[in-house]
Amino acid sequence: MFDIVANLALGFSVALTPMNVLFCLTGALVGTLVGVLPGVGPVATIAMLLPITFGLPPVGALIMLAGIYYGAQYGGSTTSILVNIPGEASSVVTTLDGHQMARQGRAGPALSIAAIGSFYAGCVATVLVAALAAPLTSVALLFGPAEYFSLMVLGLVFAVVLARESVIKAIAMILMGLLMSMVGSDIETGQSRMAFDVPELSDGIGFVVVAMGVFGFAEIIRNLEERDATTRSIVAAKITGLMPTLQDLKVCARSILRGTTIGSALGILPGGGAVIAAFAAYTFEKKVSKDPSRFGRGAIEGVAAPESANNAAAQTSFIPLLTLGIPPNPVMALMVGAMTIHGIVPGPQVMTKQPDLFWGMIASMWIGNLMLVVINLPLVGLWVRLLRVPYRLMFPAILVFCNIGNYSINNAPWDVGMAAAFGLVGYWLIKMDFEPAPMLLSYVLGPLMEENLRRAMLIARGDPMTFLYRPISAVLLTLATLLLVLAVLPMIRSRREQVFTETST
Amino acid sequence: MSEGVHSSAGEPRRHSWIGNPRDFWGGVVLVGFALFALWAAGNLPGMRGFAFGPGTAPRLFAWLLVGIGVLVALIGMVSKGPRVERIAIRGPLLGAVLVVAFALVSRYSTPLVTALGMRQGETVVAALVVFLITLVIARGEDRGPLYVTAGILIFAGTIRPLGLILATFASVMVSAAATLEVRWRETLLWALALTAFCVLLFVYALNLPFVLWPRF
Repeated sequence: MFDIVANLALGFSVALTPMNVLFCLTGALVGTLVGVLPGVGPVATIAMLLPITFGLPPVGALIMLAGIYYGAQYGGSTTSILVNIPGEASSVVTTLDGHQMARQGRAGPALSIAAIGSFYAGCVATVLVAALAAPLTSVALLFGPAEYFSLMVLGLVFAVVLARESVIKAIAMILMGLLMSMVGSDIETGQSRMAFDVPELSDGIGFVVVAMGVFGFAEIIRNLEERDATTRSIVAAKITGLMPTLQDLKVCARSILRGTTIGSALGILPGGGAVIAAFAAYTFEKKVSKDPSRFGRGAIEGVAAPESANNAAAQTSFIPLLTLGIPPNPVMALMVGAMTIHGIVPGPQVMTKQPDLFWGMIASMWIGNLMLVVINLPLVGLWVRLLRVPYRLMFPAILVFCNIGNYSINNAPWDVGMAAAFGLVGYWLIKMDFEPAPMLLSYVLGPLMEENLRRAMLIARGDPMTFLYRPISAVLLTLATLLLVLAVLPMIRSRREQVFTETST
Repeated sequence: MSEGVHSSAGEPRRHSWIGNPRDFWGGVVLVGFALFALWAAGNLPGMRGFAFGPGTAPRLFAWLLVGIGVLVALIGMVSKGPRVERIAIRGPLLGAVLVVAFALVSRYSTPLVTALGMRQGETVVAALVVFLITLVIARGEDRGPLYVTAGILIFAGTIRPLGLILATFASVMVSAAATLEVRWRETLLWALALTAFCVLLFVYALNLPFVLWPRF
């Protein structure tokens, strides 16, 4: 207990220097600014804004990135509530009740309960991260290559199970991501693989390139064909009265607690993260509610619970990254990229070797959350005005910011061109009902997985049973299999029924 | 495609041996992608004793993808689903034409460019070619994917030789044509404003190493 306090004190002493507070503030503001734009989620936001952190010292850069991340998340909720367009997947459920509240003239309370819920969740998750980081780092010492591989398999299975479309198609996406991640040089021998003697491919395809294409450009192309994307129904009524009533707060207190718990738990698991946390919290809230029919018609709990959950999850998903060095979702993968640029290798050694950075970042999470409440809420009017900018002006701006951001990471025009190609790939995937998110996750985990698979096989002298002989690995793989079976079973059953009804008619 | 003219996009197609064309063709393309990867990884050494070679993992995942792709296609035959929209095929295909044209021209136009006396102008020529192709082929709903792709490629082609100012301005102007609602006078002002903003933010405020104007 004392350790946590001491560590957090160290963290706050780092994070509370005026410069770092300023970085955090700027990050949160800019993150919200970009995150509010429709179709620009946290992944695209961070990818776009990476270059603005290049000139900063490592601690400041990571603090700013963390601020951008929370800002982008919060920006996503703002658009969900005001415009009914989720800025990103994790705020999809927020649209259900949030936008209804806005239409009833209660946009203010909806926005502020989202912020308050997020802030509370952020506080809890910060303490949780601080408390769990040290013990989990010692768990990491028990992990050999086989365990790492199995853990990543579990993470990918999570991503598959949580996919909205069919499980089989999600597995196909995982494999596609893995294959793409193999382009470049072989880790052990340095031999060029599937690079066709193109020098630009010898280092592989940058993660930002893929993420920006698949999540940024593809989304813009898709928005352009939907006519209503350009004439969105923004809540016209002036937002009066930001504060929720005492009654609201009373109703929401429990929802926020439940959302935080669910979110914190799900965020730690690789592959899940904020999206599923929000869905799970909403479903749970509906189940325990005395009057479930209110949901979808502007129930304030329907905003409070998922918003707390996704923020808690966003924060606890730092745990696998900081302790095991495994990015549990695409956002964290970008964080890895940012850390590498600053010469930090994420993993258990960060905490011991660079305690100021580690704890500073954790403390800045809390500060970032506070910023969102204190500064972003009064600025709601500004975000609304930003949303009134017609899409025909907005998308060229988003495109050009993406291009500049993408180019400045390596000063490589090639990267910009590749991102255009991936935009087309992503657009095709969306149109064919394939979900790009699992692909991106496996693209991130691919090199790590291959490395650990190869090492595990080498240590076991080529015996694949090693994954089952080692207890931790066996447990992880069993869990993965169980999950997969649970997800596939109902699908087969319903599909068979579907086939049967078709043939009988 | 022609039989789907009368049915709306959401309605499942009837009288066809493919119940869910999105799954079916998606699976087929994935198998194609996997076979391509197998071919690309074909010359890589495989297992050496019990150690993985550079080619082992790519081939392993590629074969798995072949299997899953076939499965997706088979499910696409027995299940029912919405038809494939025209734009879902035309958009990526025509866009790919632009990307390929850009790559080919920037790689092989060196003799032409040196003959014209432009130093390192290959990518500018490529950007110009992309723009001209887009002007010719972009019609109706194809505008979205084509002009967006063209705008990005033009930025890629011009940022190094022509500098940030011209690249930003040109790519904003071109990509703005992706929607029919474009108003040119407004777009011109907007492109100028955005260019000024980007220069102030990235070059002066953030000190990123951008070249502003063409170097001769």
